[in-house]
Amino acid sequence: MADKIKIAVSWAASCGGCDVSILDIEARLLDLAALADIVFWPVALDFKKSDFMALPPGSIDIGIFNGAVRLSEQEEYALAFRERCKVLIAFGSCACFGGIPGLANFSDKEGIFEEVYQTTASTENPDGTRPAAEHDAEGFKLTLPSFYDTVRSLEQVVDVDIFAPGCPPPVERVNDLVDAAARYAETGELPARGTYLALDKALCDVCPRNENRETHRIETISRPHEVKADPERCFLDQGLLCLGIATRGGCEATCIAANMPCRGCFGPVSSVLDPAAEAISAIGSIAGAADENYVPPHKMKKAVRSIKDPAGTFYRFTLPSGFLNRAVTDAPKEKP
Amino acid sequence: MESRIGVLICDCKGLVSDHVDTSRLAEEALNLEGVAFVGRMDVLCGEGDFRTALTNLMEEGCDRLLFAGCSPRSSLKFPEERIAAVLQGLGLHEEYFEVANIREQSAWQHPDYEAATAKAADLVRMAHARLKTAEPAPSPVPIVRKALVVGGGAAGLQTSKDLAAAGIEVTLAERNPWLGGRLCRLHKIFQSESWPSVCDGSCVGPVQAREAVIGSGIELLTSTDVTGVELENGGFTVTFQSKPAHVDPDLCISCHKCAEVCPEETDRRHGLGPDRRKAIDKEFERALPDVYSILPEICTMCGDCVPACPTDAIDLKAEGRLFTREYGAVFLATGSEAMEPPDYTEYRASFPDVVTSLEFERIIDGGLSRPSDGEEPEQVVFVQCAGSRAGPERSAEGVGYCSKTCCSITIKQVDRLLKSHPFVEPFVVYYKDIRTYERASEEQYQQLRIAGVEFISGELEDIRKDENGGLVLSVERLPEDEEDDEPDGAEPETIDLEAGLVVLAAAQTPSEGSSELYRLFGVEVDRYGYPIENQPRLFRPTESLVDRVYVIGASSGPKVIQQASEQGSAAAMRSLPALLRGSSETSKFAGRVNPELCIKCRICETVCPHGAMKMTPDGAVSDPAFCQSCGFCGAACPINAAELTNFTGEQILDQAKVAFEGLAPGEPKILALLCYWCSYSAADFAGIERSTAPANYRAIRIRCSSSVNTGLLMQMFRMGVDGILVAGCPEKSCHHLWGNFIADKRIEIAKNLMNQLGLDPARLRFEYIGAPMQAELLETLRKMDEKLRTLGPNPALAASGGRHGR
Repeated sequence: MADKIKIAVSWAASCGGCDVSILDIEARLLDLAALADIVFWPVALDFKKSDFMALPPGSIDIGIFNGAVRLSEQEEYALAFRERCKVLIAFGSCACFGGIPGLANFSDKEGIFEEVYQTTASTENPDGTRPAAEHDAEGFKLTLPSFYDTVRSLEQVVDVDIFAPGCPPPVERVNDLVDAAARYAETGELPARGTYLALDKALCDVCPRNENRETHRIETISRPHEVKADPERCFLDQGLLCLGIATRGGCEATCIAANMPCRGCFGPVSSVLDPAAEAISAIGSIAGAADENYVPPHKMKKAVRSIKDPAGTFYRFTLPSGFLNRAVTDAPKEKP
Repeated sequence: MESRIGVLICDCKGLVSDHVDTSRLAEEALNLEGVAFVGRMDVLCGEGDFRTALTNLMEEGCDRLLFAGCSPRSSLKFPEERIAAVLQGLGLHEEYFEVANIREQSAWQHPDYEAATAKAADLVRMAHARLKTAEPAPSPVPIVRKALVVGGGAAGLQTSKDLAAAGIEVTLAERNPWLGGRLCRLHKIFQSESWPSVCDGSCVGPVQAREAVIGSGIELLTSTDVTGVELENGGFTVTFQSKPAHVDPDLCISCHKCAEVCPEETDRRHGLGPDRRKAIDKEFERALPDVYSILPEICTMCGDCVPACPTDAIDLKAEGRLFTREYGAVFLATGSEAMEPPDYTEYRASFPDVVTSLEFERIIDGGLSRPSDGEEPEQVVFVQCAGSRAGPERSAEGVGYCSKTCCSITIKQVDRLLKSHPFVEPFVVYYKDIRTYERASEEQYQQLRIAGVEFISGELEDIRKDENGGLVLSVERLPEDEEDDEPDGAEPETIDLEAGLVVLAAAQTPSEGSSELYRLFGVEVDRYGYPIENQPRLFRPTESLVDRVYVIGASSGPKVIQQASEQGSAAAMRSLPALLRGSSETSKFAGRVNPELCIKCRICETVCPHGAMKMTPDGAVSDPAFCQSCGFCGAACPINAAELTNFTGEQILDQAKVAFEGLAPGEPKILALLCYWCSYSAADFAGIERSTAPANYRAIRIRCSSSVNTGLLMQMFRMGVDGILVAGCPEKSCHHLWGNFIADKRIEIAKNLMNQLGLDPARLRFEYIGAPMQAELLETLRKMDEKLRTLGPNPALAASGGRHGR
């Protein structure tokens, strides 16, 4: 066997679940340890930032970057990972598409600070104190990473070689990653650039409920807590919005097995232009009874109007990768 | 080989060139990719001029035509059909042309010469963007030259006869053991139109059936149901289930000896003849085919009939058959049946002398002996709209529509009653008005009034028995028309009518099981279970939404016999081009599905109104022989696996990309996606009447308004389009059943999404705009223009987004 390869793991804007998912492979961690030296892994190993930054460019074989980029420091890490790692993997939905933290893009820095440091019920902040990137405290200059208006996916900051989506990536896919790392250690071969450690087809293709799929319209749209879902029937047929129609498979359909519709954490398949707009096109085409020629407009639109939060529903994990990566301002110009 | 595009620009003798600088268009066109030749003509629509111009293009090696001139949709001299025909005549692909509509939609609606020229140049670029990636249509799909007719009544027999006469192989499948349907249940069938006259059912029914099945070569399947249908490769694979043929039609001589010994007897359900029949019997003497049959419901298989048969025709061990055949066209002629109106069930159960019009046909033919005691009634009360025209203001339940045939049938029956039984008094209780069907019938009605027959406008409230055992009807009188309205607060008058016999003109409803049959063929049904016909229904009589599935006779709504026959003939004619050719034509916009991407979510199948999508183990397949190019599959496909040939998402975006190259900076970019049929015409009509439209809009002639995926719309915003108008046919007039509604609904959610993203939803609009609604179109465009000027540039252009956006 060749020399051990070097692996680094980051932690950016994410919940930490991705780190845990690496630990979830259990005994295979030993395989990983056998083939690789882990040179950086903030959540598990005691390295400092300075240790990592001291590593020379191109000195790390595989960089596993989890989390989105919302702070200056995370951006700094993203750039540093790119510079030092021969192969950079966006690990988890946040790194791949922006993930749940990306939903912050409906607001901006000021909006978030105002909410978090001022208006929440439990906050008392009469001086309007806010976190600052620099603070002078009795002659000492204290710094914090700066907070950006917009959360970005890793790919929106640096070039990414491999995508491992999932919130978090399931054990099976992490094992695929270990296999890929082992193959690389053995032969130097890597999956093609841009590879997703997921299926190229959407989840429906492998969904166990697909064979029971019916072809009627969805008369009423329900939210998961409003109905008791039949464990055999397709969720769409039951009026539950399931994003398995456009979300990459490869997640092992664990949510489906737990009787919950797909929420889209594996991100859209490559043929999708925009995850929300296309879900609207598909769902909007079948929402509501096929009685449009007989009912007044408000009845005809009842089902589609019951989708109260299309952005939150269809961009749950992908807002920063949407056709607009964030909410914009489209205010009328001042009247002359 | 690189495609070579030839551009022909028509000045239209100044009608275009007075308003648009066509020489500049010519110069700019020469710079477009793949353009090998540009010709500017003074006028092009003379037959010789166009042919010569095209021949010149071909000599230059061009294989694609970009014509800039009048509207492909609305030009009366040079519409797309003519261009296609000439291209085809010269051996070119008729798909390889695009039209830049610079006359109706530029020269004639933008008075500013510069603006009109700039837009015209953009329209040329847009046509070019589509043309450069044009593809040939799928090849015509071969179909078998065989037709299936389901239902052997008036309509089905007529179709079968006409098709057979044209040399088409026909299978006629009938659920009953006998042919004729309603023809064999009516004794006197009225004819339209010139004077009141009738034909006798016992004569014409068998004659019509005889002409259809004897010597015509038609394959007749009686006692046979359709149980399965696959639409595949342009044809229909139909599975039939035949009931056991216990009596061999070749051997049976209809001698009645089997029936004589048969111990089981029941009421006769159909046909002309006595009221009772045996388990083995003929439904009526004149029935065709001329063979006895067994009613399995009452036959005990005792076997007495077997030795009685002199020709050994009876085999009680015969089994039913399940078999499959292929057809190229299908005619559904399953007729209608008299509804059992819910409110009347009770009366009919309690009072045997309450009958339907159809039953009265038999009673009057049998000498007017009523069911309860065989006596002649002294009065007969006819009650109209029994189950028809039900609605919120009526107490009786039923169907909302007028069954159309009943008033004339009642008039005919009253007339016959007066003539044959002058001492029996008829009364007619009708709901608000008598609706005779034809001129002759109205005349007959007037004569009955003159003769003193009492017609009472009213609503039947109750039927009861009086102390003598006679029937009494309580009828609430209704005003005859608006002028007769009672003064406010006046109690409506209720009168009692004595009746020896009550005849209910029961509503006509689709026959039992017919909705299921339509669905097997992919035909959508309306809320009453009638099949929905293709739009525009005016010019596509008998066509269902599924190509080569025809719905004829009373199966598609109440009809008289004569009209059912007319429909039978009409449908046969409609089908002949494809059947004689042996192939189904395909559209240049045929749907297709990429099997690499398809995930079998079946959403395309759900939205397709034309039965064109079929699920296979490898994913969905769009059958080009059934596809009517609405584009719903592509727009609804969540992963863009489905699309239309020559109308791909990429092509639409290519068009949008170049649509505003000529527009002055700062002008709002308005893209109007106008449906192929109605809304695009409205934009033409604006030009035809020389109305002025904002010069900053560009139209793309899309397929149905629901043919463009919402993802593409958002992509257009991302590309910097400031406002998008999607317009479709007016409500209830979509050529694809529900496309305009679906587009409206999708856009409603998309606007909600835009709102959440901070993009002003006013940037996106859906409107129902019919061809003559150019005023509404212009008003919408003006309002959008005004609003977009207030809003300023679309912030989506400046934002980053998309997976690779930095």
